[in-house]
Amino acid sequence: MQRISIDPITRLEGHGKIEIFLNEEGDVANTYFQIPELRGFERFCVGRPVEEMPLLTNRICGVCPEAHHMAAAKAADAVYHVDPPPTAKKLRELLYSGFYFTDHTTHFYALGGPDFVMGPDAPVAERNILGVIHKVGLEIGGKVIQARKYGHHIVEIIGGRKVHPCTSIPGGLTKGINEEQRQEIEQIGRWGIDFAQFSLQLFSDIVLGNQGYLDLILGDIYTHKTYSIGLVDENNKVNFYDGKVSVVAPDGERIGKYAPSEYTDWIAEHVEPWTYLKFPYLKKVGWKGFVDGKDSGVYFATPLSRLNAADSMAAPLAQEQYEKFYATLGGKPVHQRLAIHWARLIELLYAAERIVELASDPEITSDNFHTVPTEKPTEGVGIVEAPRGTLTHHYKTDERGILTEVNLIVGTTNNYAPISMSIKKAAQSFITKGSVVTEGMLNRIEMAFRAYDPCFGCATHSLPGQMPLIVTIHDANGNPIEILQRY
Amino acid sequence: MTEYPGEWSSLVQAGSIHPQVLVIGLGNPILGDDGLGWRIAEQFRTGLQERQPASQENLARTLVEVDCLSLGGLSLMERLIGYQRAIIIDAATTQENPPGTVTCLPLQDLTSGEAGHTGSAHDTSLQTAIEVGRLMGASLPKDIMLVLVEAETLFDFSEALTPPIEAAIPEAEHAVMQILDSWIDRT
Repeated sequence: MQRISIDPITRLEGHGKIEIFLNEEGDVANTYFQIPELRGFERFCVGRPVEEMPLLTNRICGVCPEAHHMAAAKAADAVYHVDPPPTAKKLRELLYSGFYFTDHTTHFYALGGPDFVMGPDAPVAERNILGVIHKVGLEIGGKVIQARKYGHHIVEIIGGRKVHPCTSIPGGLTKGINEEQRQEIEQIGRWGIDFAQFSLQLFSDIVLGNQGYLDLILGDIYTHKTYSIGLVDENNKVNFYDGKVSVVAPDGERIGKYAPSEYTDWIAEHVEPWTYLKFPYLKKVGWKGFVDGKDSGVYFATPLSRLNAADSMAAPLAQEQYEKFYATLGGKPVHQRLAIHWARLIELLYAAERIVELASDPEITSDNFHTVPTEKPTEGVGIVEAPRGTLTHHYKTDERGILTEVNLIVGTTNNYAPISMSIKKAAQSFITKGSVVTEGMLNRIEMAFRAYDPCFGCATHSLPGQMPLIVTIHDANGNPIEILQRY
Repeated sequence: MTEYPGEWSSLVQAGSIHPQVLVIGLGNPILGDDGLGWRIAEQFRTGLQERQPASQENLARTLVEVDCLSLGGLSLMERLIGYQRAIIIDAATTQENPPGTVTCLPLQDLTSGEAGHTGSAHDTSLQTAIEVGRLMGASLPKDIMLVLVEAETLFDFSEALTPPIEAAIPEAEHAVMQILDSWIDRT
């Protein structure tokens, strides 16, 4: 058995590692995607007051602390059986839309975009945001920096701090916003709509206008027919903050929707001996292995799955793009995983439109932003859509509100099975008998999981001084015959 | 308490003068040894505040601000805007040195920016982010020094540091002060 190791994966949160095993003929026999699991978070939380969770959980992850803050706040609401007033819900969603705006912008311009703007074969030193700026123009860089600044500013106005918000508590928020702040946020939202449309146009010009990229997106290599999940509102429109989780089969049929409190009826976790991380799957369908199809419980949770799981978008310009998206890609649902990049930009536009809509709401400056909890705390589940997948927080407490049990299913974990499948398929397509493994080939394998915007155990980084991509190719006897590395 | 040489002052009463040096403790305060950057930065801040105020002249040119962050890449670069110099304190896992080893090096000597807290892999490396910032006309520090402490327990949730890291705090804190002093001498 020959072995190729990609370790660690560049531009991926957490220290991931891909092992590729070749057979005697030099074809890919199997692949294993492994990540180190952070240990002991549940134990760390037990014994603490549940109201600490919105602050504590946003330290789990350096990439989406706002998502953990929101899921924790909603779970704490449920634990205390308190329904926050409409203004509190709207302010939380407004903050969350600002976060999405920053996060999706960053992914497109710094992570996913370089693969297309610079091309999968571009030298790694150029396949980054600097390369994008040099190629597309300085103006782009300025807009990206401005977009990030604006999104952070909305989070700071409502959440009290940039990046790590601190204002959500059981029953609502500790503060509201005034008219001046409302106007500022609304202006940011209007700027954001222009920026998102500009980004969609850029994608259209560079990616959709390039037959080679279109072939790559539409081809079989990056396609998996699995279930799609995503939060939807009462009208089955995409919503990042609230609603029920819609579950849609590979053929497009909605098999149901579940409320946060029902998640254990729908989601179960499969264990494999080669990794500590579990593989969530749809309980009602069952685990049939790492396979596509309606009989396999494998699902994905990404911007694309959210579009697939919904009937439409709750904003007019995003809806136009939604319709164009499905018309171009052959109707719903779309299974080509590289289309996640396009879906992400449609969500970017939706986030900006949502910012304007919520900031224009007459209730948004109301002082009624908190309902004091009066019931005994017991148990609760909170679900939001993190940019990289459905995020579930489940807490149990004693009658004093002290945590006795904690369970989290984080965004990327949902995608562990489909990411593993995508890596294997890409590896099998690009590494065949006798082929020389090139940098571009490896990048095409990395593109398979980069589309999912994965994030494993984010805030764990320390400084090793270097984070190389090392690929070691072993012959049938296990001897290294070629080592490729980049820094 | 560590005795600091040189003319250094706390940030108390900074007034309208913008701090020129930013000291950042980087890491995750609830993930074992990954919280060392925060602990060292907090201890350093306490040490600064306990010192006698320096002369007004020194105060103006050496004002120091201390912050604790869990950021990387573009976000970290954005935080550095407006300062002349910066020191970043972080955990290191070179596996070449025993736990607790303190190493100081300029950011440009870090062989890969795709690494560590400075390079949140979700966006880009700090070096790349700084290039982006400079390209956009941002005012970024001319000197960025890293103070790294070799760590080994980074995957277990805990607010406590392991004994070798705990023991290294005074040395790391002193290293931060020495870097600041070298900058005074050059000013």
